[in-house]
Amino acid sequence: MAHTYLHGKPVEGVIEVHEHVSPASSYIKVLSALFVLTGLTYAVSFANLGAASLPVAMTVALVKATLVCMYFMHLRYDDRYHVFVFLSTIIFVAIFFTFTMFDLTSRPRLNEEQDTFFRVDQGGDWNDAQRAKNIDKYPGPEVKGVPHASAEGKADAKADAKAGADAKAGAPAKAP
Amino acid sequence: MSSPAHGPSTDDAEPHAFFQHHYNTVGQQAAAAKLGMWVFLATEILMFSGLFLAYFIVRMFYPEMVLGSGELLDKTWGGVNTVVLLTSSYTMAMAVRSAQVGDQKKLVMNLILTIGFAFCFMVVKYIEYSGKFSHGIFPGKYFDYERAAAYMIEHGHEPVMGLPHIFFGLYFCMTGLHGVHVLVGIGVLFWILIRARKGQFGPKYFTPVENVGLYWHLVDLVWIFLFPLLYLVK
Repeated sequence: MAHTYLHGKPVEGVIEVHEHVSPASSYIKVLSALFVLTGLTYAVSFANLGAASLPVAMTVALVKATLVCMYFMHLRYDDRYHVFVFLSTIIFVAIFFTFTMFDLTSRPRLNEEQDTFFRVDQGGDWNDAQRAKNIDKYPGPEVKGVPHASAEGKADAKADAKAGADAKAGAPAKAP
Repeated sequence: MSSPAHGPSTDDAEPHAFFQHHYNTVGQQAAAAKLGMWVFLATEILMFSGLFLAYFIVRMFYPEMVLGSGELLDKTWGGVNTVVLLTSSYTMAMAVRSAQVGDQKKLVMNLILTIGFAFCFMVVKYIEYSGKFSHGIFPGKYFDYERAAAYMIEHGHEPVMGLPHIFFGLYFCMTGLHGVHVLVGIGVLFWILIRARKGQFGPKYFTPVENVGLYWHLVDLVWIFLFPLLYLVK
């Protein structure tokens, strides 16, 4: 037994990390599971699940990620501290996502309460230039003061304009 | 403590050729290197999370535009790349295992296979990107609305209303940053391959192989989320 030191002083009874060698067959099993799950998401994408498709795809991706982390990255057998580092990263990502989404989804109400309004900048916007170029083909959202598209497809344009105006004001559109 | 399932213990191991004098034990050196790698991976996850959040925000505000634009991506090429990357992750894991058990031949072979799959991935990326570019689908302000719309109609899609160039800006940023990681991965894998061929790795010392493996699995992890979000989800 080699001498082990902690803060410069020799200590007894220290157990260091033992590397775990997984059997080759376990890696094959994990790879097959990953292939099956990939096939599953691929197949599911052709069945129109609508609103459920995002949660389903994310669940399958999470299962795949867990398999990779636990077996390929050895987190299952590794020092728990590495698991801690990894999971705390995920927690910070979750905080980042939650608070940003919270801000964006609650902002319209805040704007309303504080009577904030936004002016649409019409000077040299790239989208406006594109829209002007293709105004007959693709009537985009209606913008105040900008002459809008042709009469045909007005219903479409109207719906589009509404969605566009909502989005410009910062209101969340409905999830698919 | 040690069971047959565990490899050689490192606490009482003889110092190997790469043992650095400022560590007390070989195990301490390995543990420090690995912790450093995990902290680096944490920063990588945080970097990618910004792009993922951007995707979710754009998707929340412009669901139809995102889903319509996503239709233009080739699911099959995306699926092929997923299989390629998963397989390369497997060969990488096998390379680490070969180093752990001291199988020099298999270590070199698995590293070469991993590099080969990484190149396959980049070739498919090249095919996909050049296909998009040839139809005027560029990121951001370089997006050619007219040619892209003609392409969409030609393929039986409704021309995407709204701001498809935003989606493709995200697409190119996310897959591009991921592609850069694959290229860097190819670089470090070559470095490991050269060292492996010199016979520098074995059961006593395989930390670089293991850390490059961790990096490579992270690249795989990112793709596991990119693929369904960009190519599959409707």
